Amino acid sequence: MAEISFPLPDLGEGLIEATVLEWLVSPGDQVERNQPLVELETSKSALELPSPQAGKVIRIHGAPGETINVGEPLVVFEVPDNTAGIVGTVPKDDAPKRRVRLSAVLDED
Amino acid sequence: MSGRHTEEHIHTVEGTDPHLFVEVHEPAEGTDAGLRPVLLLHGFSSSTKLNWGDTGWISTLKSAGRRVITVDLPGHGKSGSPEDLDSYSPSRIRADLLQVVADAGARPLRSGDPASGLDVIGYSLGSRLAWEFGATQPELVHRLVLGGPNKEDPLASFDLAAAQRYLADGTPIEDESTAGLLKMAQLLPSNDLFALLSLIEAIKGEPFDPAEAVPHMPMLLVAGDQDERSATMPELASIAAHAGGMVEQLLVPGRNHSNAVTSRMFKDAAVAFLGV
Amino acid sequence: MSESTTATLEAAARNEQSVKLSMQQALNRALDEVLAADPKTVVFGEDCGQLGGVFRITDGLQAKHGETRVFDTPLAESGILGMSVGLAMAGFHPIPEVQFDGFAYPAINQIVCQIARMNYRSRGKLPMPITLRVPSFGGIRAPEHHGESLEALFAHVPGLKVVSPSDPHDAYHLLKYAATRPDPVIFMEPKSRYWQKGDVDTADGGTLTGARIVRPGRHLTLVAWGAMVARCLQVAELAAEDGIDVEVLDLRWLKPIDAEALATSVGKTRRAVVVHEAPLTSGLGAEVAQLITQNCFDTLKAPVERVTGFDVPYPSGDLEDEYIPNIDRILLGIQRVLEYRRG
Repeated sequence: MAEISFPLPDLGEGLIEATVLEWLVSPGDQVERNQPLVELETSKSALELPSPQAGKVIRIHGAPGETINVGEPLVVFEVPDNTAGIVGTVPKDDAPKRRVRLSAVLDED
Repeated sequence: MSGRHTEEHIHTVEGTDPHLFVEVHEPAEGTDAGLRPVLLLHGFSSSTKLNWGDTGWISTLKSAGRRVITVDLPGHGKSGSPEDLDSYSPSRIRADLLQVVADAGARPLRSGDPASGLDVIGYSLGSRLAWEFGATQPELVHRLVLGGPNKEDPLASFDLAAAQRYLADGTPIEDESTAGLLKMAQLLPSNDLFALLSLIEAIKGEPFDPAEAVPHMPMLLVAGDQDERSATMPELASIAAHAGGMVEQLLVPGRNHSNAVTSRMFKDAAVAFLGV
Repeated sequence: MSESTTATLEAAARNEQSVKLSMQQALNRALDEVLAADPKTVVFGEDCGQLGGVFRITDGLQAKHGETRVFDTPLAESGILGMSVGLAMAGFHPIPEVQFDGFAYPAINQIVCQIARMNYRSRGKLPMPITLRVPSFGGIRAPEHHGESLEALFAHVPGLKVVSPSDPHDAYHLLKYAATRPDPVIFMEPKSRYWQKGDVDTADGGTLTGARIVRPGRHLTLVAWGAMVARCLQVAELAAEDGIDVEVLDLRWLKPIDAEALATSVGKTRRAVVVHEAPLTSGLGAEVAQLITQNCFDTLKAPVERVTGFDVPYPSGDLEDEYIPNIDRILLGIQRVLEYRRG
């Protein structure tokens, strides 16, 4: 297993920090990509941060009310080794599905 | 414009196009609840993106199987900033909203048809507009959720002259509310200050009077328990209840006017309240 | 320690010859062994060093072989390939990686105008023993530039060799083989096949040049390479249910193409369908069809069919299922060949 740290991303508008309002996930939770992780408040607005990836949350940084700087660790995920850092999705090896059937009289000349 | 509200469907109100940015967000695949669309109205100096997108509202409603109509108010977000004052008056905005939701497919309520009608969720200034929209469109609006609501519109007491002096030569603004609102408007570099001041001027011409027209459909009022701007929420509730409407209130612990909007408790309550 | 390194070490400890590896692990192991055997070999690319590559192909190699042998580069493909030219001139054996197929475009000048021609231009004084690894083709739901098939582009350039393995065994042996060639080789790794495991006989790679019959058959030859080989094997199993015995030929080398293997196979089956992910027009399927027609014209029962991607930019997300030849499209191609009657 590999660990991937997700730092507080650049929230735009020149913001350099955000305050944790409420965590929506806990260590041990398996999360999907885009699942909301945490509610944050900046000097300009409140927002919900979606997960950048699927994985198991193993650590979260910042209790409600605490301030985190952009670039500091926010969440650490655990992901299988062979998918760490991958762009895209590991394809599933599904059983072959068909709709077309072959019909041919083979003249064996 | 995107979603269903495409070029060919643009209808002008009173002959002018308000250049409102409208989007229709379809329910998440396979979840369509078959219910009426939900119109989202954002607050002053905010936008669809800030008030409803970044906060997770649109994805929450889509996951709940709802079709969502969003619109940026004039001078906000991706909408245009018309130069005429009338484009910003609440009555004109309500007329534009009616055209927007009709173009997006909302139809008058028919008994027994859960897909008919429209649910409206507003926040702050958006709640004022939602209240008035519900009161004036009883054949269309099914239920209302008003976040961070206020019996009086704080924008109506905004000291425009002081704001303009401040912007011109830096003369300090005495009125605390005016200074706070202007600071909020200036925080976002994307805001068109001229347009926002036009909106305030137009609102001063049509201040909020909740008792003048009261919505009769069921409504849910939600505010943070630290939200001073929504301290009058119980009074608003009693006006609605007095007029015979079903009113529910929810206080979100530990939240204020700017951070109650992301609250899971708020979203869950709204989804449940509108999911009938 | 990573899974792949562990597998390699465990196999070495047991002195096993045949191990079950994913293509990721097989490639990782091949690079590990090439680095150990040849001090002139250097491995580099975006995220190849510390991270171990976005597909983990270089996982653990920097820690084992050091930062001067396995290293990260800036995000500049022209620089990665330009540096490869210089390293090759100085006597090194570079194995650069272009992280994704579509990222090769910014380095086309270095590949086409320098790497492919330097040996020719210098009359053999400056050979370019470069193996350019390119995670290729689609199938992983990635964004634009992450699912393209550039084999025809590379195959068209004199001076380049192009190869694409379809399973872990071939990946292991073909990479080791390519890395020891004196000529530049474009090594196209089918990224959608990185994770499936297969038996790798580390001692016996078999014949590493030319094409390979992966399934013998009597009635028709399916010609494919890269990720399409696995799909054609599925199709062959389904065709067998309908009484059609399909031979699957993994072309492997896309430049030079093994014309003899094509002639031998289709000379026997007398029918051929070529399958690739790349767009139809001027794709390698046209070259394959011509080579077959040239050599088997008198015995062919039908024109060679092509089942390919479409003449559109590679689509991202779920749309790639509509683009990449699927089982039904390949079966329909086979049916067209079977139905063909002269006159």
